[in-house]
Amino acid sequence: MSDLLQNIKLIGDQNTWISNLRSVGYKSFEQQGIPSPKNEAWKYTKLRDLKVDDFVISQPTNASSEITLPFDCYRICFNNGWFNPLSSNLPQGVEVLPLIEVIIMRPELHKYISKVADIDSHPFVALNQAYLQEGVFIRIDKNVDLKRPLAIVNHTSSGSDNLFFNLRNIIVLEAGSSATLVEYYGYEGDKKSRYFANIVNEIYLKSGSRLNHCKVQDDAYKANHIAFNAVSQKQASCYKSFCLQRGANIGRNETLVNLEEQEAEAEVNAAYIMDGWATLDTTTDIKHLSPYTYSHQLIKGVIGGDAKGVFQGKIHIAQGAVKTEGNQLHKAMLLSDGAEVDVKPELEIYADDVKCSHGAASGELDEEQLFYMRSRGIDLEDARQLLIDAYLNEVTTKIDNEKVSQWIKLIAQENRK
Amino acid sequence: MTKIDNIADTSGDKYKYGFVTDIESETAPKGLNEDIIRLISAKKQEPEWLLDFRLRAFEFWRNMQEPEWAKLTYDKIDYQDLYYYSAPKQKVAPKSLEEVDPELLETYEKLGIPLKEQEVLAGVVAVDAVFDSVSVATTYRAKLAEKGVIFCSISEAVKEHPELVRQYLGSVVPYTDNFFACLNSAVFTDGSFVYIPKGVRCPMELSTYFRINAKNTGQFERTLIIADDESYVSYLEGCTAPQRDENQLHAAIVEIVVLKNAEVKYSTVQNWYPGDKDGKGGVYNFVTKRAACRGTNSKVSWTQVETGSAVTWKYPSCVLQGDNSIGEFYSVAITNNHQQADTGTKMIHIGKNTTSKIISKGISAGKSNQTYRGLVKVGPQADNSRNYSQCDSLLIGTTCGSHTIPYVENRNRTAKLEHEATTSKISDEQLFYCRQRGIDEEEAVSLIVNGFCKEVMQHLPMEFAIEAAKLINISLEGSVG
Repeated sequence: MSDLLQNIKLIGDQNTWISNLRSVGYKSFEQQGIPSPKNEAWKYTKLRDLKVDDFVISQPTNASSEITLPFDCYRICFNNGWFNPLSSNLPQGVEVLPLIEVIIMRPELHKYISKVADIDSHPFVALNQAYLQEGVFIRIDKNVDLKRPLAIVNHTSSGSDNLFFNLRNIIVLEAGSSATLVEYYGYEGDKKSRYFANIVNEIYLKSGSRLNHCKVQDDAYKANHIAFNAVSQKQASCYKSFCLQRGANIGRNETLVNLEEQEAEAEVNAAYIMDGWATLDTTTDIKHLSPYTYSHQLIKGVIGGDAKGVFQGKIHIAQGAVKTEGNQLHKAMLLSDGAEVDVKPELEIYADDVKCSHGAASGELDEEQLFYMRSRGIDLEDARQLLIDAYLNEVTTKIDNEKVSQWIKLIAQENRK
Repeated sequence: MTKIDNIADTSGDKYKYGFVTDIESETAPKGLNEDIIRLISAKKQEPEWLLDFRLRAFEFWRNMQEPEWAKLTYDKIDYQDLYYYSAPKQKVAPKSLEEVDPELLETYEKLGIPLKEQEVLAGVVAVDAVFDSVSVATTYRAKLAEKGVIFCSISEAVKEHPELVRQYLGSVVPYTDNFFACLNSAVFTDGSFVYIPKGVRCPMELSTYFRINAKNTGQFERTLIIADDESYVSYLEGCTAPQRDENQLHAAIVEIVVLKNAEVKYSTVQNWYPGDKDGKGGVYNFVTKRAACRGTNSKVSWTQVETGSAVTWKYPSCVLQGDNSIGEFYSVAITNNHQQADTGTKMIHIGKNTTSKIISKGISAGKSNQTYRGLVKVGPQADNSRNYSQCDSLLIGTTCGSHTIPYVENRNRTAKLEHEATTSKISDEQLFYCRQRGIDEEEAVSLIVNGFCKEVMQHLPMEFAIEAAKLINISLEGSVG
């Protein structure tokens, strides 16, 4: 393991609660290491070139975020993984606090930290815990309906080569509340900078709450972006998520949803667009732990160049979780000869009265559709672009917020830089 | 509804084919070492190259780990506590049925394969019956020989057609392939060998019935089928085993080589002892089956009905090397009580315009667990290849499990791949519809299950389809049928 990481001074090390947490995470990561392809969960996403030793823990900077979002929102900004205190005024009933402050000042909130995100089978969550310091704690009060989206924006500034940053966000929606959360990861300057973002979100949805979660990963094309979202859902809560991945050399967005009580519902959608030598991985694990729980997944990908798309999706239905429904569909479109897609959808079912299905398909652009357009005077490149947009539309239109949906469609249409 | 739950609980521990035939076995001492392998080889009067092959496999096996990735839990097998060689005691090799031990013949009769009758009745099926490890009777040899078809036990083939065996043995499943295949390569005792010469359409369905007998004998069958250019053969394999308390190990290999324009159809009905209703006893079945479509337009089709064994680990695969070659896999797997099955297929597309189709139906009842595990892999050269997979599972009762794990790896943009899987139970509407029309509940369930499997059953040859339908009823007896 990295000497460098071991010697770094982290904020709050004098607090025993946090230093214990870190050392548990550190030990767990040391034991697991960077996963090899022999690790079933990382079978297709090869991390041969990723060495923690190559990176330096990010330090606070003065640079401020240049990224603006084309819709009205409450912005929570990070620069190189460091929190920039918020400029917008938050309405009543919404708390956004730096995580480290919460850990030190509010021990009653410790119950939300490192609970739903399990370190033992997730080496990068363990690594995240070992260097836990930055991130925000967001809490929406009972019955508060937050209309404007909350946006977590991480901006990696130029000259950030070999930076390693670790983010941990805790999001708690109290009973009956609802909110939209947007996450955006972008960069400025050198598109070749090879930084490493390791992000863990822990999301707690109390009964009857509703979270609409949209994420865009638009990192520099040599960056590594590994994200883990863990969601705990209580009765009749609803989690609706969408993730677009288009940047990074190795990008992985993993979502674990625990449907713990009846009537909980989750919709986990994603899209990825890629070329070059990238590997983009979408992994889901939906656990139906109670009767009358529902989940839906739609994942679509467009792969060009010598890139590789990976999808691993799992629907687990626990014994006794009857009357549940779980659906999953993954579709991939291969644009070039070097493209590759590896898919592993998985059903693990221990109850009989359930309806579960999964589907996976892959193919190329339809020649006939292209011909149809070309015979009407649309040139080849435009026709291809139109077909790809239409293909992704099926999933991007599922985003609940109209403005966010429009914004994501535009990003999806932009050619990869 | 309560009724179904009920019957799933009380499902039968009676094994219809459970009896032990009393024939003296000639058995080598327990354990596995080089001496045992030399002994097996010597007993079978094998040539030097085959002994070499076995010893190399054994050497390799010693450094291998038993795989643990399957969703199976069973007591660790002590490979030193098994007998690796046992043969029915007979002084001379039988030349005709008259010379065969009458007690053996009776056993087959109980199983419903009266050899004599079959020889008398106009020949539809030739039976190369395997009792434990040594082939005891082969019928219709002459008739097949007329066409140039070679159908004999593999030990005979080693003696009579060494050039063919040497060329193809281990060419589809090398001994380095996996733990169980490697073990088999070291200690295999017998099995069947089929060679269909160029342009010949085999005049009858070839069939082998296996039985496991003699206490504590691991069965290591090895089957090699070679279909030369433009030939066709349909091969049937059926299995039953007597009731026992101790787990029995079975690690077989089936290798099929299909050359240009040839077609092989391989059907299996597997009904080994599944253990009693508390999960005691039962056969451990670890099988490696693989077919290589080596020529253009070659075709191979696997059809299997899996109802027996306590533990099943089996993935009949197709390597589609030749352009335009076709691989098919049709499977019905039924698990009840404490049975566990981890089964599926692999379709490896290498040649251009290759097509594969997977239809898998799984039924779990009682406390059983079943997994479909499949791989569809398309290489960069396999332009315009096509795959369609469908995996449906039916659960009966609240304590069983059903899992589907397909792997799809596509490296060619012109390939079109589709995979679908569903899991459900028998719907109350379907049951209600049947009952409304005067069909009682058990019969209704059996009707629905048969309908569920129909897509696969229709690919079985006639004789087999009947036996298979019976087996499905026996396996779910008390639970549905």
